[in-house]
Amino acid sequence: MAATTRSPRRILIVDDDRALRHVLGALLTNAGHVVEQAADGAEALARLDGERFDVVLLDIGLPGANGLDLLAHARSRPSPPVVIMMTADDTSDSLLSAVRRQAFRYLRKPFAPASIVDVIEDAMAETAAMSIEVVSARPEWVELVAPCTLEMTDRIQSFVMQLETKLPEPVREAVAQAFRELLNNAIEWGGKLDPGRKVRISCVRAKRLLLYRISDPGEGFNPEKLQHAAIANPPDSPLEHALVREEQGLRPGGLGLMMTQSLVDELIYNETRNEVMFIKYLD
Amino acid sequence: MSPMGISEHEVGDVTVLELDGRLILEEGELALRDAVDQLVAKGRVNIVLDLGQVTRIDSAGIGMLVAKYLSAINRGGRVKLLHLTDRADEMLRMTKLRTIFEIFESEAKAVDSFDSE
Repeated sequence: MAATTRSPRRILIVDDDRALRHVLGALLTNAGHVVEQAADGAEALARLDGERFDVVLLDIGLPGANGLDLLAHARSRPSPPVVIMMTADDTSDSLLSAVRRQAFRYLRKPFAPASIVDVIEDAMAETAAMSIEVVSARPEWVELVAPCTLEMTDRIQSFVMQLETKLPEPVREAVAQAFRELLNNAIEWGGKLDPGRKVRISCVRAKRLLLYRISDPGEGFNPEKLQHAAIANPPDSPLEHALVREEQGLRPGGLGLMMTQSLVDELIYNETRNEVMFIKYLD
Repeated sequence: MSPMGISEHEVGDVTVLELDGRLILEEGELALRDAVDQLVAKGRVNIVLDLGQVTRIDSAGIGMLVAKYLSAINRGGRVKLLHLTDRADEMLRMTKLRTIFEIFESEAKAVDSFDSE
């Protein structure tokens, strides 16, 4: 018996790997979705032009077509499907082309097939209006503008961290965690979780350092009034901020800045403190 | 994303909550809040949180552990941690909270530790 799902979707799987199509198809059908398949570019094009899909899982290296061209075609349709790229191509050029063409997520093969069910749920949580604007898509300088929703955090982090696959794992994990903490701060406190407001994210990759800059639309903050944050705690009172937050009715937390300070080499705010930059040295 | 799964079992007056999934902002942290709040409301304030199946944790997740630790203390109980992942352990150290929590590798020892208080 098929498992129930919150919202069944029409999904097209486009891949010349028959076994992968079969596994993904079975998982998604079991999750309650309606799944169709295409094995090459021509078949995919015919299906995209003839039927409506909510989600397309799309390989890049297809017989008879480039998946990135199919992505652009799919996204140019009147009611475009959400497109999730799947590829063994590990070049940043392909990733950035996919981001520019509004791919929702970029999955590098091999990936755990079971994870696809969650990725589909994530994709369906976003509306068509929640697109990422690509300001710069050079591997050395990626700059994105995105709506202030928490759903964006996963999506942007996924893209950005896939540019850093050659980093040693501990460095990559530290950068990913710091990036996530600061992006969540910008979206939640600066952007007030308002999809109409935008955060700007720049990722610069130099020979000896990685630099990330996040600019939010908020008014910044006063460092003298951060008693609700752990960085202001007296050395012998690690719970002080939690008590302050409870008094002020703030959600539990206040640990992100302290954590980030431990994860990166430099953490720098502008004067207003609505822009933050962090640096990780690679030497 | 799938909600975090929380399964619960009781050993005497201690409740063990096994968390499975992402303990992060607006996801697992809210499920954890609700689960602990329900226990505390029923007077079951001695709680062991098994974090062994937590796949991701962020500052909001750690923040919720702290908040629920304080909730239990305010009602005369304790929240203790079991099977801390390396990532969660590192985050507790970074935030100077490692010494606040009692941390165990065995459920039996975690449960027994309430008897000695």
